[in-house]
Amino acid sequence: MKDSSSLESRTSHNTKQLALWTGLWLASLALVAFGPTFLWDYHKVITIVLIWVNLFMGYKMIMANKQHLEGLDELQQRIHLEAMALSLGCSMVFGAIYGLLEGVRLIDIAPNPSNILFVMGVTYGIGMLLAHRKYS
Amino acid sequence: MKNRLKVLRAERDWTQADLAQRLDVSRQTIVAIEKGKYDPSLTLAFKTARLFGQAIEAIFIDETDVYTTNSRQMRGYHPQKAMIYNGL
Repeated sequence: MKDSSSLESRTSHNTKQLALWTGLWLASLALVAFGPTFLWDYHKVITIVLIWVNLFMGYKMIMANKQHLEGLDELQQRIHLEAMALSLGCSMVFGAIYGLLEGVRLIDIAPNPSNILFVMGVTYGIGMLLAHRKYS
Repeated sequence: MKNRLKVLRAERDWTQADLAQRLDVSRQTIVAIEKGKYDPSLTLAFKTARLFGQAIEAIFIDETDVYTTNSRQMRGYHPQKAMIYNGL
């Protein structure tokens, strides 16, 4: 796809693919999360099938993200790389200390891993903003 | 690294968007290169050179080279004289 089309059409196509697979992955994740309670009363076979469906959607989303990144031009790729570096570093530092907070009795609640996803998302966004400002 | 992208583009009356389209990169990339905030890859530099029909070193100027050449000339070293002296 990269060689045969312009950057604009390539990015547009890849973004749509990424949005599609991300949406399907999210929908299947929501089904796994809420389906057993509200739809099929914890039927194990249905839940296991949906977990496999979710993993497949996740795989397709990862591949779509990879294709999206490969379709960008070199500066855009660098901007994403810098944002990812910030996101990965912050998530690692935050995740490591956050996991210890309950053990050292600074907080009473058990750390929720989904909070790391929140940190990843926010720091990735900040990283993108900083890198865009740096190169504009 | 300095470059003559803006001059070459102006000579052809191209906008940044025109050049970006011809090189298959975003306009942001052209802006960043022209401002010297981003050094293009060798692939993009070759593509740019082919587009303008010039050698890479005629478009992109390594500031280290400029510094080295100037320092040598200040010390009395002249590359052309050196080449003649060395029989090249």
